[in-house]
This record gives sequence, C-alpha cells and structure tokens, in this order.
Amino acid sequence: MILDIRDLRVKLGSSEILKGVTFRVRDGDMVALLGPNGSGKSTLLRTIFGILRPEAGVVYLDGKKITEMSVTEIAKEIGYLPQETSEPELRVLDVVLLGRTPYMEGLRLPHKSDIELARRALKKVGLDGFENRPFTSLSGGEKQKVFLARVFAQDSKILLFDEPTSHLDISSQIDIMEIIRESVKDRRSALIAIHDINLSASFCNKIMMIKNGRVVHAGTPEEVITPHNIRDVFRADVDVRKHAGRIYLVPKIARSPDKGKRVHIICGGGTGREVIYMLDEMGYTVSAGVLNTLDSDWEAINEIGGEVVAEAPFSPVSPESHEENLKLIEKSDLVILSSIPVGKGNLLNLKAAFKSALQGKLLIVESTPFSERNFYGEEAERIYRQTLELCRWVVRDVKDIRGMLNEILG
Amino acid sequence: MNTKTGLILILIALNILAVIVGISIGPAKISVKDIFSVLSGNENISEAKTVKDIIFQIRLPRTILAMLVGSSLAVAGCSMQALFRNPLADPYIIGVSSGASVGAATVFLLGIATGINIMAGAFLTAVLTALVVYRIGVVRGRAPVYTLLLAGVAMASFLSGVTSFLIYMAGEDMSKVIFWIMGGFWTASWDKVKIAVLPMIFSLTFVLLNSWNLNAILLGEEHAMSVGIDVEKFKRRIIVSSALLTSSAVAVSGVIGFVGLIIPHMMRIISGADHRILLPASLLFGSAFMPFVDVIARNVIEGELPVGIITAMLGAPFFLYLLRRGRM
Repeated sequence: MILDIRDLRVKLGSSEILKGVTFRVRDGDMVALLGPNGSGKSTLLRTIFGILRPEAGVVYLDGKKITEMSVTEIAKEIGYLPQETSEPELRVLDVVLLGRTPYMEGLRLPHKSDIELARRALKKVGLDGFENRPFTSLSGGEKQKVFLARVFAQDSKILLFDEPTSHLDISSQIDIMEIIRESVKDRRSALIAIHDINLSASFCNKIMMIKNGRVVHAGTPEEVITPHNIRDVFRADVDVRKHAGRIYLVPKIARSPDKGKRVHIICGGGTGREVIYMLDEMGYTVSAGVLNTLDSDWEAINEIGGEVVAEAPFSPVSPESHEENLKLIEKSDLVILSSIPVGKGNLLNLKAAFKSALQGKLLIVESTPFSERNFYGEEAERIYRQTLELCRWVVRDVKDIRGMLNEILG
Repeated sequence: MNTKTGLILILIALNILAVIVGISIGPAKISVKDIFSVLSGNENISEAKTVKDIIFQIRLPRTILAMLVGSSLAVAGCSMQALFRNPLADPYIIGVSSGASVGAATVFLLGIATGINIMAGAFLTAVLTALVVYRIGVVRGRAPVYTLLLAGVAMASFLSGVTSFLIYMAGEDMSKVIFWIMGGFWTASWDKVKIAVLPMIFSLTFVLLNSWNLNAILLGEEHAMSVGIDVEKFKRRIIVSSALLTSSAVAVSGVIGFVGLIIPHMMRIISGADHRILLPASLLFGSAFMPFVDVIARNVIEGELPVGIITAMLGAPFFLYLLRRGRM
C-alpha cells in the first residue's frame, strides 16, 4: 500500500503548521520523522490519519483520498499510535482487543477470531501470558508494548507512531524499534515521529527532517544525518561518527581556542583515537602517522581534519612515508607514541619515535607492557628500551596526558 | 459461574431485597407475608384494602421511582467519569443540577408550583443548561473535555448564584425550594414514574450499548479515534443521554448528590473499569441503593429527611476513604 502525500498544508487557528509537505511511503519503508519540537511532526501524523483537515493538499491511500473515507475505513488501513498517555483500568487483552473495533459492527461483540488476533499481537510484542493482567500494573515499557499490540491487532498496512519511545528506558526503546522493524518486513510501512536521532539512524531505512512545517532533508540515514543538516534543522553542533556500519551522533563539546602548538601522534589500530579527539578538543593542532587508511585512528584524524601520513590498508610503512612522517615530527612541539603493537610493517614508526626522543619531545603512553605487543623481536625491544630511556615523559593512561600538557608545552 | 455473573446475580438479589424493604418499612408496618399475599391476589387478610393501597399507591411507585433515579444517576456518573477521564466527574458536571434548581425555584417564585410544573421547569432548565455548556465547550467543531469541564463548573457557579437569589426572593416558599433542592421521593407517584421511565430506559439502553466505545475512550480520545470511533459524535451522544438521565432524575426527585459519584467508584473497585460489566453493575447497584437510602430517609426521624442529606452524609466519608486508599 502506498501512502502518497501531496503539498499538504495545515492550519491550526491562524498559524500555518504544515506549509506544503510532499512525500511517499512505500511497503517496507520505515521512515523516521525528525524535527525540533513544534516543527509539525505530530500535526503531519494527525492529518494523515484524518483527525485534522488540511487547508490544501491531499493524502492518498493507494490513490484514494483520505478525506473521502470514514474514520472506520481509515482505521482499517492505517494504524495510528498517538502520543497521548493514559491509564485505563482494563485487562491487557481488553486494551489490545480495542484494536479490533473497526471490524466489530453494531454491538461490538468480539468474535473468536478477534480474540485470536489480539493474542497473536500480544505475542508479537513479547507479552505472551499478560492477557489477564491489569494494564495499570505494567511497567512503562510494557504499557507502550500493549499499545503497540493494540495497533498491530488493527491489522493495518500503514503504521503511524508519534514518539513511541519517549520516556522509556533504553532497553524498551530498542525493543519497540525492533518490534516495529519486524512488523514492517511483512509488507507494511511505518512513519515514526521521534526525537532520538541515533535510534532512528539505527533502525529506519529512511529519514525525513522537518523544519517549520516543511520537509527540508530526506533520504537514507547516511545522506540525511550530517552535521550540516543537524545544525540547519536543530541548531545543534554535533559530530557524526560511524560504528559497525551505522552512524551515530555525538554532541560537539565547545573546542578550546587554538593554542598554536602542534602535536604529532604515532599510533595505529585504534590506540590513538582517544588522544586525537582529546587534543583536538583542547585546541592543539594534531597530526598523525604513519597510518593505514581506514584504520580507526585514520578515521579519527580525518574527522578532525588533521594532517596525516597514510599507507594503503595492510601495507607496510614505506621509506617515503617514513620521511614524510619525520617532517611532520620536525614541525611538532610534542610527539606522542601510543601503545601500538610493533611488527614488521611498522618498525619504522618505532624508529620515528626514537628520533623524536632524541629531539627531546617524545611522550610515551604505555598502557600495556611493550613485551606483550612486540611482534617483531629483539631489535624492536632494543629500540624501544633506548627510546624509553631518552624520552622525558611516560604515562600509563591516556587521561593522564591532559594534566601534563600545559606543563610540557607551556 | 464466573465472578462477573456472580456479581450481577448478587446485585439482582439486592434489588429484590430493596423492593421488599421499600414496600414493607414505613409508618405502617407491612410484613413480608402480607406483601406476598397481597401481591398474589389473596385478599383474605385483615385490612386488605388499606394494605393494598399503601403498597400500590404509595410505596411501590416510590420504590420504583427511587430505583429509576438511582440507576440513572449511577450510569450517568459512570459515563461522565469515562468521558472526562476524571474520577471527580459526576452526573452534575455539565451543570444539570444547578440548571434544574433555577427552574424549580422560578416555578416556586412564580407561584405556580404544582407537581407537574416543578417537574417541567426543572427538566427544561436542566436540559437547556447542558446544551449551553456543550455549546460553550465546542471549539472549532470539537469539544475538548477540559473546556467542557470548565464551562460546566463556571455555569454551575453562575446558576447557583441565580438560585440563591431566587431562594432569597422566594419569601414564604423559601423552605419549600430548599427542601426540593435537597432531593427526595416524598412526592413520588405513578405519574412521575410514567413520565420519567421512557427517557430513562431509552438513555440507559443507549449508554449500555456503547460500553465498548466507552472503554476505548478510557485510552484517550485520539486512541479512540485511531480505532475508528467518531469521537466527537460519540461524545455528543453520551452527553445528551447523560443529560437526559440526569435531568429526568432531578426533575422527579430534586438534586440527590454523591450517588452518581460514588456508586461507579464502588463498582469499579469490585468489577474493574471494563464498561461491559461496570455499567450494568452500576445500574443495578444504583437501583438497589436508592430505595434503601429512601427507607432510611423516611424512617430515621419523625416526618421525613431529604434523601440528598443522607447520600451526602454517607457519600462524603466514603469518598474520603477512597481517596486515602489511593484508588482515585
């Protein structure tokens, strides 16, 4: 079933809440509707369900105008979970059974098949055996799941959710999004107004951002969730990072003013990320090398826009890169050697560290003993010992660096 | 037999008991044996004619009227509590009682206070008040419950001012007006039963048939819409039937307080909030409760006490008890 929304304009009182919204939702779509408070998310959902009448524009359900359908007809095609919370003193099964209302004519006596469908919906949300419990005795997450089951019992193809995860703990939030994603697989589609951008990026295949009653950005999470768009729509400064193929936001902590000092970091395999982010935040100009592209340290230095010497993935450090690395070291006021494992591929990095120790500007982070990460042999051990002896500062934990930097760099 | 059927059967038994008590207790004592022999047409007992008259002309219509009023107030209160999703809602929340008081007081003041006039005056002003409150409560084609609630409260306080003024102006009739407002069944008659029975049965049936939709309303109005209920239309119909129930009750018996508030609460504690059981239970308990209270009212002192006094004196402490138990 296709939900087709064309140039929807909605007024509440004298203020125009939606100013021309156009989009389509197809089977299998799980669309997150993002936008600040008051941007028109709830209004959009309520207009789609037919609770509010649009000033102009049309909502089509498989080509049929929603304004020409009765509320019962709409309820058979669209399942809508409003934000409204309540504490009905009913049995769980009776709450779920209310989802069968559009199919129960006249006296509204539930048929055996209605009860069967309600039970199945409860099972789907993982609340087997809750049928006879009083609704009011459930936890917040369970209550929301019962409401989800109510929507599923309605057996409609298009699902609208208005902030289904707000006020819930993290595990319930994940459960709810997981349940919605499962249900969408079954030739359904879902449109979810939500505030949690990370949650929507993890679960939804499409994102729509609304600002002042207009859809301003739409597409896949990767396309839409960018620091630029977030600043545009939410007026918030964030960094967008990627982990295990999914993107997530981290708030940008106000960066300290530029300190005018350069720090070079010899790292790799994720041993330097933390230092890179920390120094950047503190206002130092950070560079790194030699790294392999796509290494997570490489991603980190790129993210902050620092200079980097890099090799292709899994390639050893070439003499040319080593030279370039030494040049960066030459320019730096401080060099940090992170707890990298040393092997044939990156022995030159250890040598670069030795050279910086000779210049009296090396700090070593030794969070694990060198012997445990030495995969090269005796020569590496010897170079490391000499470096250690020459170097002026050694810390066990990255966090210890923070306090020392002012002293070291002045 | 499940607990629901059990509850209903107990309540039916309670109703039968209420009829027997309502008929037998009074200034002239009539034994249960006499009741049965009169009802079965055996006229061989002494003073059969008098006993028959007392039963059929005085006590039976009075008991039946009390039952009708009790069930109407209980059901109206129950549906108002669901509609407003507020445990403090009662049948009078949309201004019906204060409207009826103005009507009745006006009739007294005009010096045309016959039984039928009082009834008509009270009924008309009650219905009119409900209508006005609803009209005021409608904003852009919708009637949000909180505007209805506030409109009802404002209207009630305005009208009680008017009533006080009318009572003050009533002079000699002052005590009569106050007595009427306090509520009671001393003027009960078959005529009153005949007039009240139709709108009451009609409205009771309508509300009972809408138990499912009232359950949906408990989830919230948008939830109810989302399962395909035309909420505004439904709300209007429930308000109209509750107004009819309450106005009819007030017209025949004055303003009897607390019954419409506490009976639904008591039944909710026993049966839960599922209106498919809660409404019939409230109806039956209301209809059994009222004749009992009436029996107390007409026997506790020499003469008669307005029923409204007793319901308030029983109701308020119970209400406080509920409040302390945290069930509200």
